[in-house]
Amino acid sequence: MGRPSPIQDRKLPAGRPMASAVPYLTAAVILFILPLVLPSYYLSVLTMILIFGLFAMSLNIIFGHTGLNSLGHAAFFGMAGYIAGISIVTYGIKSFWISTPLALAGAAVTAAVFGVIALRVSGVYFLLVTFALGQLLWTIAEKWYSVTMGRSGFVGIPAPDLGISLLDLGTPVRFYYFVFVIFALCYYLMARLHRSPFGYALQGIRERESRMSALGYNVWLYKYIAYIVAGVFAGVGGILYAHFNGSIAPSHIGFSNSALVMLMVILGGAGTLWGPVLGAALIVLIQSFASLVVPARWPLILGILFVVGVMGFRGGIGPHMVKRVRRIFSSGSYQS
Amino acid sequence: MIATNEVSFRVDAGGRLVIIGPNGAGKSTLFNLLNGQLMPDAGNVFFFGQDVTRLPLHRRAHMGMARSFQLTSLFPELSVLENMMLALHGLRSSRFNPWRATLSYWNLLDKAEELLSLLDLWSKKDDQVHMISYGEQRKLEIALCLASSPRLLLLDEPSAGLTSDERLAVMEIIRKLPPDIAVIIVDHDMDLVFGLANRIIVLHYGQIIAEGTPEEIQADPRVKEVYMGMEEEKT
Amino acid sequence: MGVFVICLLNGISFGCILFLLASGLSLTLGLMGILNLAHGALYMVGAYVGWTVAAHLGLNFWMAAVSAGCVSGAIGLLMERGFLKHLNRLPNEQVLLTIGFVYIITNVCLWIWGSIPKPPYTAKFLSGAFTVVGWPYPFSRVAIILVGVCVAFGLWWLQDKTRIGAMVRAGMDDRDMTKGLGINLEFIAAALFFVGAFLAGFAGVIGAQLIGANTGLGLDILLLALIVVVIGGMGSVQGSLIGAMMIGLVDAFGKILFPDFAMFMLYFLMVIVLVIKPTGLLGRKL
Repeated sequence: MGRPSPIQDRKLPAGRPMASAVPYLTAAVILFILPLVLPSYYLSVLTMILIFGLFAMSLNIIFGHTGLNSLGHAAFFGMAGYIAGISIVTYGIKSFWISTPLALAGAAVTAAVFGVIALRVSGVYFLLVTFALGQLLWTIAEKWYSVTMGRSGFVGIPAPDLGISLLDLGTPVRFYYFVFVIFALCYYLMARLHRSPFGYALQGIRERESRMSALGYNVWLYKYIAYIVAGVFAGVGGILYAHFNGSIAPSHIGFSNSALVMLMVILGGAGTLWGPVLGAALIVLIQSFASLVVPARWPLILGILFVVGVMGFRGGIGPHMVKRVRRIFSSGSYQS
Repeated sequence: MIATNEVSFRVDAGGRLVIIGPNGAGKSTLFNLLNGQLMPDAGNVFFFGQDVTRLPLHRRAHMGMARSFQLTSLFPELSVLENMMLALHGLRSSRFNPWRATLSYWNLLDKAEELLSLLDLWSKKDDQVHMISYGEQRKLEIALCLASSPRLLLLDEPSAGLTSDERLAVMEIIRKLPPDIAVIIVDHDMDLVFGLANRIIVLHYGQIIAEGTPEEIQADPRVKEVYMGMEEEKT
Repeated sequence: MGVFVICLLNGISFGCILFLLASGLSLTLGLMGILNLAHGALYMVGAYVGWTVAAHLGLNFWMAAVSAGCVSGAIGLLMERGFLKHLNRLPNEQVLLTIGFVYIITNVCLWIWGSIPKPPYTAKFLSGAFTVVGWPYPFSRVAIILVGVCVAFGLWWLQDKTRIGAMVRAGMDDRDMTKGLGINLEFIAAALFFVGAFLAGFAGVIGAQLIGANTGLGLDILLLALIVVVIGGMGSVQGSLIGAMMIGLVDAFGKILFPDFAMFMLYFLMVIVLVIKPTGLLGRKL
């Protein structure tokens, strides 16, 4: 073949097209404007969507990208939430800039410890170990009454104190924008991770571990780092939730929360970056609606969603929509 | 059950060793032992003077060993180019980079173009692997091995499932490999075997029953016996 | 001394209930690789149905137990035939599906029977007690142990001494080969699922003599069953028995000695076993 073309002339090869900037900008603008028009109840729902969207995206890092199915992911969400709450309320650490890194460090350390244990096994055993580890934390949260206030949850968590009087986050609208900024930042970080060599390596591991080893990748190390990174991002969600809700309870650390976030990822689609956000939106919306109309039947609806989500939307709602849109706009090199 | 028993051989730089033998003779097991996917119960594997017997797979890759798989082992959901980029990053420290877009590494893209063009796959660079033909997948399989500029190349049945045209193309590629790398091939296709080898080893029931130049092997009565026995079983 | 004996008997009787429950879970996990997290919910359904039949309608206790088993068995069969079958070789999806059923079953039970827990109930002739080492000990607990022993023996005999058992064990070890030999694995899978679910419902009634019925059971008892299966080993009756006895004893003694730590200890044990010997004490490798 001829000599490679000089860099200036070359077009960036298409690869698999990242969605162009337009949908993102549109979404960003909408999310930016909404709080100015929404009544406060809907605003809180929207805030929840962003928080859980972040949580779901964090699970996607290990579940969707790397293929590790964990039933204990809420452990990191809850751990960070608790540390943030406890450091602010019990230890009087007022500043967000101190309590948050503390909480994230806690999530990271927990993930580091859990990862070493859980990654010794795979398949069903990995499911069971992550489940058991999450439940271990749950029992601590329930029983260690003096620190965590037990089953009723740790209450009294104030809005984040940024230390800048101009940025008082006491009102729902301001808090929403705060969450929005953090969400957007995390989204951006995860998007970069997704396209980076590290991110591609995770996908490779999901598809063909043996091949990755033969190519020179230390597979265990990648899984381990991914597990910790996912734990940290989950922790971000946990901290935001603790501030938003004003409290955090053992149920947020335990199995039911882990199952919920797993469902969000599956419903929305594990293959894309924004799929889990869609899944989170769907579940939060249905839950809000159900709690108004038929509060006692919400678990039933959730259960049905599980069944429908697993049986019906095998690849997730997200990719279904993407395929449709692509069919309309594509030049035909992708058949579904 | 012993899969490979008292197998001992060496390959030097520039060598073209082909291992043949009836199915079940232990050829893939041998590759797995060399490559690190299996640990031997006894014996050692030396690579350029170093004992690598207990070294994990990925570390052997860093020392210069590359391997293709008998059952195509690509990344089906990713594109041809993405597969190649994964392979190219394998030995580079940039493989841990969580920030920069993979497809922005210009120097690696150049190398990818070079390797893929060599194998006539550049035009398919954006196609997902599960959509290209089987023959193209086998070629990509080999291309991925070359990405790391290996010192030792293990090719596990490179011609399996290919049409005769594709087989010739693969043979050409192997012929054109840099002369200083060592290549060990396991295959059944006799044209390929005698066309490429400068030494042949015959395995049967996990043991070496003959070793030598192609001419020596062709003349060896024990080899004929093994293959004649196979012929008789078939009829 | 008396307390020790009572604790021991309590541990064994609770262990029998756990065994009834865990054996079904262990069999489906061992044969089909399906982690059926709805198993605890099936127990709960059994406890409730049994309450309706025995306590509410005042019918024969054993009839209640059997009918409860049938109801749970039917639900289990529905899960397997209607849903799980289609998710073959997708273990993640299977687990999630069973989680969905937990929510559905739990909420339906809440709907039908209300949120107030049903108190323990038992057969009329079992409602007395006799004295053991100076303490009163209920007949019902002894009956539980007897039932447990009988079922254990029956299952063991089925597993190790019959052709059906051999086919099931073959299916566990090598699915494709078994199919190749013409053994109808589909039918066996469905039957096994039914049996496992039946046992769960049956266990629900037997256990209701001690703990009654409440809507938290779906998860609470599941957790214990999971620990039993992990520690005792998946896929074998003996394993479930050993594991159940161990957990029953830990639970009985733990309640007295260190009540706050009991749950934590159990999960901790589970992690240790999973990491050191994932197949448990007597399990078959998955």
